[in-house]
Formats: sequence, C-alpha cells, structure tokens
Amino acid sequence: MSAAVATMGRVQRRAPVLQFVALVALFIYGAGTISGFSDSTSIRSMLVLAALLGLAALGQTIVMIVGGLDLSIPGFIVAGAILVSQLCGTHHWAFVPALALIAAIAAAMGAATGWICQRFRIQPLIVTLGVGALASGGCLAWTGGKLTGSAPAFLSTLTSPTGTTFGIDVSPVVAIWALVAIVVGVVLHRTIPGRRLYATGANPRAAQLALVNTRRVWMVVFALSALCSALVGILLAGFSGADQTLGDPYLFQGLTAVIVGGTTIMGARGDYTHTVLGALILTELTTILVGHGYGTADQQIIFGVLILIVVAGYGRDRRLRDTI
Amino acid sequence: VRDLLRTRPFGFALLLSVVLLAANIIAAPSFGNPSNWPQELASFAPLAIVAMASTPSILSGGGGLDLSVGPLAIFCNVVLVHKFFPHGLGSGWAAVPLILLIGAAIGVFNGLLVSVLRYQPVIATLCTFFILIGLNLKFGASPRPAPPGNWTTDLGDKVWFFPGALITILVPAAIWLLLSRTAYHRQLYAVGGNQSTAFSAGVDVAATRIVAYALGGVFAAIAGIALTALVQSSQAASSAQYTLIALAGVALGGTVLGGGRGGLLGSALGAFAIYLMQTFLSAVNVPPTWNSVVYGGMLVAGVVVGARLVALRPLGRRALA
Repeated sequence: MSAAVATMGRVQRRAPVLQFVALVALFIYGAGTISGFSDSTSIRSMLVLAALLGLAALGQTIVMIVGGLDLSIPGFIVAGAILVSQLCGTHHWAFVPALALIAAIAAAMGAATGWICQRFRIQPLIVTLGVGALASGGCLAWTGGKLTGSAPAFLSTLTSPTGTTFGIDVSPVVAIWALVAIVVGVVLHRTIPGRRLYATGANPRAAQLALVNTRRVWMVVFALSALCSALVGILLAGFSGADQTLGDPYLFQGLTAVIVGGTTIMGARGDYTHTVLGALILTELTTILVGHGYGTADQQIIFGVLILIVVAGYGRDRRLRDTI
Repeated sequence: VRDLLRTRPFGFALLLSVVLLAANIIAAPSFGNPSNWPQELASFAPLAIVAMASTPSILSGGGGLDLSVGPLAIFCNVVLVHKFFPHGLGSGWAAVPLILLIGAAIGVFNGLLVSVLRYQPVIATLCTFFILIGLNLKFGASPRPAPPGNWTTDLGDKVWFFPGALITILVPAAIWLLLSRTAYHRQLYAVGGNQSTAFSAGVDVAATRIVAYALGGVFAAIAGIALTALVQSSQAASSAQYTLIALAGVALGGTVLGGGRGGLLGSALGAFAIYLMQTFLSAVNVPPTWNSVVYGGMLVAGVVVGARLVALRPLGRRALA
C-alpha cells in the first residue's frame, strides 16, 4: 500500500495526474447530472471560456515560477481591450499596426516592471499593482473616460464557440491556446531559457553565480506576462466588448487556475501544462454550478469550498517535520 | 537618514507620509484643521486596519498571505447592518465581542487550513475569500442603511473630544504592543524567519501560525466596525477592493512578504501614505480619469525612491532580505 502511494507520489511530481483525474471526474459528474453538459455546443463554449482564462493565467504562471506575483494582469487586459477598440473603432487604424503598438507598449511596461523589481529588489506585488493602475488608467485618461469604439468584427469570430480553424471544427482561440500551451511546455522544459527561468526561481543568487542574467530573466518574464494580458484583452474586446472592469475577474480566477493546477507561489515548481488543467477544471466547475441553477452568491461559496476539496488531493505542502 | 531607514523598515513609509501630509496641507489648508480630523481619520481607519490585519499572517512566513481580510471586514460590516441591528443586537457591548469572535473564528479557520491541513496560504485564503464574498452577496444583496444613532456613529465621529476612529485604529495597535511583551511575538518572528529552525528549537509552528491568522481575523473584524462607522450602511459590493490596497500598504510599510521582518506600525504607516496619496489627488483637482494614472505612478515612484534610499545596505543584509 505505502509502496503504491510512494509510486503515485513520484508520478504526481512528474506529471499532473491527479489534476487530470479531477478534471475527468468533474466531467463525468457534470455529464451525469446536467442534461446537455456533454453536448458539443456546451463543450465548445466551455473550451472558449477555458482558453481565455488559461491565456490570461499564462503570465501569472511564469511570474510565479520566478517567485513573483503579478497583480497588473487586469490592468493590461483593460488596456489591451480599450486600445484595440479605440484605435481600430474610433481612429480607424488597421488591425496589425494597432496590434503591434499595443504589444510594444505592454512589453515595454512589463520589462520596466521586471527591471524595477530586480534592480531595486522591490516586491513585485507592489510594483505590479502600480504599473497595472498606470496601464489601465493611462488608457482611460487617453479616452477621457468615453469608450466610443468597438473592436474589429473579425475578433469576435476568433472567440466564437462555433468558429472553425482552417476547416477544423474548433474555435480559433482554442486552437491558439493549444498551440501556445505546447510551445510554452517545450520552452520551459527543453530549452536553455526555460532552465534559466527555473534556476532564477529556485535561487536567484545561485542562478546569478551560475552566470544566469537574472535581471534579463525578470524583464523577459514580466514583459511576457504583460504581453499575454494585453493580447487577452484584445480577444476579450471581441468576445464581450471593452469596459474598465473587464479584467477584474481574471486576476483572482487566473491566480486560482494557476494554483489549482499545482504551481506554487514559492517559485520554481509547476509549469503551464498544470495551469491548462487548472483553467479547464475551473471552467467545468463554474459551468456545473451554473447548470445546477445556483445564483452568484451560492456560486462563489461553493466554488471556494470545491477548490479546497479539489486541491486537497494534490496541492498540499509536506509536513514541516518531514522537511528538516 | 540612511541609518534610520536601514534599521527601521517602516522609515520610508514614515518619510513618505510626512512629505504627503505636508503636501496635503499646502494643497488644502483645511486638511490640517483639527476639527476635520475625526472625519479624515474615520475615512482612513478601515484601510489602515485592513492593512494591519494582513500583517500577522505575512509575518508568520511560509508564503503566508491572507487574501481574505478584505472580504472578512466587509462580512463583519454586512453582519452588523443586516443581522445585528434589525434583530435587536443594537448595543455595542453585545455586538463588539460577537463580531470579534466571528473574525477570530474565520481567522482560526484560515490558520487550520494553512498549518494543520497544509494548504498553501494563498489558495486557502483565496477560497475563504470566495466563500466570504458569496456570503456577503447572500446576506447583503440589497445595500441597507444602518439605523440612525446606533453605537457605531460615535466611532465615525467623536467620542467626547477624542476622534472615534483613532480608537478603532489604536485597539489593534494596543493588542500588538501587548503581544510584543510576550514570548509569542518572538515565536512569530522566529517562525516567519525560518520555520525549520523554529521547529527544531521547539517552537510550536502550527499553533503560532493559527494564532497569527486569528489575530488577522480579529483585526479585520475591527476594520469592519470602523467601516460601518464610516459609511453607516452595508457595502457587500466592495468586497474585493480593500485586500489589494491593504497589501500595497503592507509592502510599502517595509514588511517582507517572505515573512519574519516588518510589523504592524509599518503597515499602518504604509496605508497612511496611500490614503494621503488619494486625498492629495482629490485636493489638487486631478480629473477623475487621471486618478489611477497618478496613483500608479506615485506608488511605483514611491517604492523606487524608497529602495534607492536604502540601496547602500551591506551585502550580507541584502542577501537576508
């Protein structure tokens, strides 16, 4: 028995097995208790919601691997959504230059965040809070608080649950998400930059002594996080339209997806595959709760309790007396 | 100045507060008028106390971070307005101990999740955060005013000649000061500094952490009372805001998120600096759309300047930080 548990522990450390089991169990429960849960239309819309959540949680995942916490995600989501709506909708820019400008702004602000945190050894929490306010506030100030534009129409087809990708029967945003997940998975585990990321997260001083340019790692990580959030903002502008509270749900939901997936806040543990599963689990949970007809208040309560139950299976720390 | 900042991590928040206080008084001379102090302190109190409430769990280390203090403060506000006032618990002598007990119970719940069930603090308190927000929406679905003349109105104004909000701010500070005379204070910093060493030295790490979260819960309950005193109504919708601003106050006040360094005074000063930033913005008539730009800019600039001031720390100390 204990040998079996030990083997399971080893497997679990290498791959998110229990997360996958939780995902499947939830799906079976949902399919059994809610009619239409396993229909292709409902699966498609769940996948789109999970893709948006998962993409928004990508930045948080890599920031948490280097041992930080990014609170600027809602700020950049709002910035991306507002900028794309205003530039394309009101100022009639073509989509590509608007995209390039937004990406450049987000990456520059993100890199600045990483530089400030690493150079002055300030906790990312407070810097990202400030930068997030700068990003969303700057866009609001630029528009004077009046959101007149709307996102280009093709963005809506990108996130439409009934969309197709090159003739294949999945929504484009889901295809994008799958591609991103594979690329990030390979980069994190099979390339030198990925190793540098984990080394920096495990012990910045040791990484520095091993000739890892930790400052560059921090700048790249925060730039990527800001970039992802801004791109999600652009997608959301097509999905639901831009407004200034658009990003708020994605901070805590995204953080939950990352942690339910099994990446820890202490750094250097977990990867994006875990977050993908986390985002899928959360979306299933929400859909099941909505399907059973719970109101917003009950949803929040049950959501909180269920996450505790799900995470109990795999996300707990070791006993302190076993770590000495 | 540098020596002071090096030995006192909250020195920077103090400096920033003094500068901003001066700026506020220059921008709006009425700000310094003692007759306005009760109102100003009352609007500052909830933020300050929530910041203080997030501090003990962070100090207890191990990635400790209590995200649920903001919703907990709101929860106490909602319970006061929707449950206590309409159902005859009008007197403060009965309501205050009950509210503090609720806060402590939820704090203990967090502490048990973290130290006995070994959840990561962020996920445990995030779940409590969701549960409390749900409860707030359930109980306080429609905002309701508190009955006029209830016992909290004095705390929002003056008790005799004394600003009432100062009492709600001073109670957590006094509890903390009393604790700092006890062994618990040292145990908390020991656990936060290095849990393995503390464990090996015979400190009951689990109990120390549970007490830290319970303290946070009690302080959050006091923040709920201060909030009720200020707004005189239930505020179920604003559950999520306080947590983040309070965390910024904690970080600004020199408490290290890794645990073991910092203190309650720093958090209160950090929150004070943030509050003064906000009042300064409205005093100099910054258009509302520019508010969050200036706020974000001041926050970033503030911490960078603070870090520059202490940048010449000896290398060994920097490694510790």
